[in-house]
Amino acid sequence: MKKLVLAMSTLCISVTAVLAADDPIATRKRIMDSTAAAAGLSAALMKGDIEYNPTIAKAAILTLGASAATFGDYFPEGSGEGQTTASPKIWEDADGFKAALAKFTTDTSAALEASGKDGPADLDAFKAAVGPVMSNCRSCHEAFRVQN
Amino acid sequence: MIKRLTAAAAVLVAGGGAVFWFLTAPQTIGAATLPSGDATRGERVFWAGGCASCHAAHGAEGEARLQLAGGVELATEFGTFVAPNISPHPTDGIGNWSERAFANAMLHGVSPEGEHYYPAFPYASYARMAPQDVTDLFAFLKTLPEVEGKAPENRLSFPFTVRRGIGLWKLLYMREEPVVALAPEASEEVKRGQYLVEGAGHCGECHTPRDFAGGPRYGDWLAGAAAAEGNGIVPNITPGEGGIGSWSASDIAYYLESGFTPDFDSVGGSMASVQKNMSMLPKEDRDAIAAYLKAVPARPNGYPSNR
Repeated sequence: MKKLVLAMSTLCISVTAVLAADDPIATRKRIMDSTAAAAGLSAALMKGDIEYNPTIAKAAILTLGASAATFGDYFPEGSGEGQTTASPKIWEDADGFKAALAKFTTDTSAALEASGKDGPADLDAFKAAVGPVMSNCRSCHEAFRVQN
Repeated sequence: MIKRLTAAAAVLVAGGGAVFWFLTAPQTIGAATLPSGDATRGERVFWAGGCASCHAAHGAEGEARLQLAGGVELATEFGTFVAPNISPHPTDGIGNWSERAFANAMLHGVSPEGEHYYPAFPYASYARMAPQDVTDLFAFLKTLPEVEGKAPENRLSFPFTVRRGIGLWKLLYMREEPVVALAPEASEEVKRGQYLVEGAGHCGECHTPRDFAGGPRYGDWLAGAAAAEGNGIVPNITPGEGGIGSWSASDIAYYLESGFTPDFDSVGGSMASVQKNMSMLPKEDRDAIAAYLKAVPARPNGYPSNR
């Protein structure tokens, strides 16, 4: 049940995003937190820590989709300064960053399509759908995030 | 009187030189018999040993991680070390090496020419490997593609250009016995983890801080360190303050498998490539590494707090 609440709460991110639109760093961090929560939920399902449930699985995929659709809007010029681990490469290689976001969007859209109205029918279907989405975390972080 | 003093000084210097020469002589495995190697088993050693992280091209993926042409650079305060070609190419790689030459390199840090290697090649860890794993690894390396082209030379400045001095370094820091004294009742899994982490996995090479001479501070084993390159840090992986005490063994194993931390950040920096190697291991090895990391002594961060 706790996990279900977690899943549902991650869905509220787009609302949060609007509220914090005047602070792009805080906003994108919030979006990334919910992305991580959705990734964590997906992994818990895949590992069997949470019993597989298509509704929860779809909630996770939807959250990842919402992140993909909004995250890129919160990197205005000059927002690389301050409490952020955003790499300067986001602005130096704007096309590369745009391409990484586009891939994230494409992969989440494909996962959404595959999950249908009621969510992926079984765990294997979910793994096939969400696996490619999860690979975006690492590739984008390696290229566009600075490690402290 | 002055003459006498000069003579005495000369004798001292010559004597000191002789002692230095004696102490720093490269040691090898000598005529010891080596077990015959098996390439299939050797692949597991290859991934545990992380060879691809330095000897394959930077950022290589998939099959390209088996092209061991070297060339990856490690820019340290001692100078820039360049990983050599260890593909089976007969002249540019190690295709013409004997199994014995390979074992001397891995277990004693000595080249086929009888010279010391620099410890940027982590033989201080590999020295804790079983000879069987070393010959298995050699057998596996022999099956990989031959890649042409020698990697550039190291770029070091004096006194680090004097290879003989590495003999002293080895006397001070090399030890074949385990670093951590495990409890006598430690499980086989923890012992396997110790063997992987302290030996082939050479985790301590980056995660343990070094002293002024570049030797590991064994008392701060795995406590995290200033990165060898740049201004970053390598994290504390003991259960101590600043470390990973809050991670469960299954969190650690899952991180090594997937690259995701418990709060679902993704692996980054130099660890990204290491994690790729770890993901190729059988699950039981990742579980063993996790079990060992839960068993090592807790230490506070081994790097200065301003890093």
